[in-house]
Amino acid sequence: MVTTCASPAAVQLMSVKDVVCASAPDLQRLTGLSNSDVQQLITAAAAVCRRHPPITAQQLQHGVSGAQLRLGCPVLDRLLRGGLPVGGITELAGESGTGKTQVGLQLSLSVQYPAEHGGLGAGALYVCTEDSFPIKRLHQLIGEQVCLRSDVPADLVSSLRFSDHVYIEHTADLDSLLVCLTRRARLLLTRGLVRLIVVDSVAALFRTEFQADDWLERNRQLLTFSSMLHHLSQEFSTPVLCINQVTDVFSQSHNSMGPSLSTVSPALGLAWANQVMVRLMMSRLQGTVVRGDQSSALRRLEVVFAPHLARDGQNAAVWREGLRGVESWTSNRK
Amino acid sequence: MQRPVSSLPLSQAVRLKLGSAGFQLTADLLDFKPDKLSKETGLSEEEAVEVLKAVKGGGGGGGSGDISASLTALELLQKEEELRSIVTFSSQLDECLGGGIPVGKITEVCGVPGIGKTQLCLQLAVDVQVPQCFGGVEGQVMFIDTVGSFLLQRVTDIAAAAVRHCSLLAEDDEQRAAMETFTVETILSNIFLVRCHDYVELLAELHLLPDFLSQHPKIRLLVIDSVAFPFRLLFDELSQRTRLLNGVGQQLITMAINHNIAVVITNQMTTRIRDGQSHIVPALGECWGHAPTIRLLLQWEGSRRLATIFKSPCHVETMVQYQITPEGFRDADQSEMAHSKRPRMDTDQSAAEPKDTSS
Repeated sequence: MVTTCASPAAVQLMSVKDVVCASAPDLQRLTGLSNSDVQQLITAAAAVCRRHPPITAQQLQHGVSGAQLRLGCPVLDRLLRGGLPVGGITELAGESGTGKTQVGLQLSLSVQYPAEHGGLGAGALYVCTEDSFPIKRLHQLIGEQVCLRSDVPADLVSSLRFSDHVYIEHTADLDSLLVCLTRRARLLLTRGLVRLIVVDSVAALFRTEFQADDWLERNRQLLTFSSMLHHLSQEFSTPVLCINQVTDVFSQSHNSMGPSLSTVSPALGLAWANQVMVRLMMSRLQGTVVRGDQSSALRRLEVVFAPHLARDGQNAAVWREGLRGVESWTSNRK
Repeated sequence: MQRPVSSLPLSQAVRLKLGSAGFQLTADLLDFKPDKLSKETGLSEEEAVEVLKAVKGGGGGGGSGDISASLTALELLQKEEELRSIVTFSSQLDECLGGGIPVGKITEVCGVPGIGKTQLCLQLAVDVQVPQCFGGVEGQVMFIDTVGSFLLQRVTDIAAAAVRHCSLLAEDDEQRAAMETFTVETILSNIFLVRCHDYVELLAELHLLPDFLSQHPKIRLLVIDSVAFPFRLLFDELSQRTRLLNGVGQQLITMAINHNIAVVITNQMTTRIRDGQSHIVPALGECWGHAPTIRLLLQWEGSRRLATIFKSPCHVETMVQYQITPEGFRDADQSEMAHSKRPRMDTDQSAAEPKDTSS
């Protein structure tokens, strides 16, 4: 690759990464090469580090990336303009009881459909950090998939072995979470067994383990964790859903992170928000929706920010078959 | 030339060898051939050639471009006026910036997540391609995405809106002819995209960029979204991070000047505790703040989005309101702005000699 002869000892000590990160005068000093040779060395090292040469956006159009993971409800998928983007962290924040876990479960099933039906043709890794996995609810959702996904032929739905492809992990602390991601998640992704990672919830671990003074250490751990997720997501074109809690907002200071007039904001602050590509919020509204023999409290799924979505929201309800958007609803206020 | 050898742009080792061989001034080196010089000083042939090139390059604007001929301030002013700025499609912001994002300088856009930094970058990636007869720059764009936020759906929306806008403005034959080549497909084909997953890939990409820019001389804009994301992970080695960022800053400004491009980078915000109060400030530290020429801060005030120019050598610190619509980055008051149809004639410069204003 590099045709000049540098002093072999110096070159052996350096990896390609070191060459790219060093400055030209430093390299000259270390290797004893002339300026033009050093430039050649840097260019060769950089070419190795580069994964893909630049492509035009037009070529991207005809490429594979840009797939999305549908939620399974056409109304909500329209809000998301297709679904969760692959390659980036999607956050779903909200108070407890609003239905965030429902979304995680629903996506764990919708990912298993083939691409032409909005899935990614593989399973899901569901990481629980607080409560134990709601296995009963998952089985209920599986039983009702035919009802939810009326757009998919029924024989295809019944042929999918849903419960076989949801991999459940319980991690009680930060270290085991990081180990789970580095080993198990990577293994499952490499083998093509999963194309979705759900972390339910991120806030739980980072809020309990650190005292108020440790925020520097907490941010450090948060960045390590999120960068790992980000890398996995980009490398394997896998959507990542992180479920988050909310904190109360006491005063709308001039340093506010959003225009929201709500009294709650997602937990973990600015450091976490900087890592998130799509932020969604789920809240409970007054009123209930009735359908047949079922009734559900009314919810609202809001897009707080996303590179490709407008700030918008959609009312929704939780039924036996899962979360569905409610276009026009008749309220039954109690 | 009584210029000391130590002032030449050579590496330390070469200078030491020259010094110990007795060469103090560049005049001493003028009569030497490379092979004789290398024998005298112990330098390799290639190094000797470099030394002589550097010496000769001092008097004429040639060589490897390290020493260029000096320009007068008037020539610089004329050069700057010939360069068009890249409009943002928000007329208020364009006015504050004196036409738009300037070419040949680094502009940094900071803000909290979701405020519109990526939207502005995508808008500029489309705006740089506006044909010259509409007052645009008609250039290509290199988009380095470190976050993964370059989503084709959104780019297509913004491109389609820009095409619609320009076709409504097309008055004469020249503009109508230009609209033939200003379509969503051609806009997408003029955006070069690279995805970098960590800071090493970003640095590698920047090393390879000058060659790429030479091969594609029509590129007028480089966007890096965002510079902060990969570097914020180096929290344990802050000194290395500062050194790397300084290098990045130098590379960017060199490329901006040499290849005549506008560089737009986005930065994140971070919290700083000062005097017991927490403030939100741009990330990457104080040292990085010196790298960009112009810094724009995007922030929320209630439900309004504001853009502030908070560092610039040639603009007043002003605050304007903007909004993000399905069409892209726009003024707050109206959804379509009144875009000037012909290039602006510079009226506020008084020069001694007549200038050739671009038309």
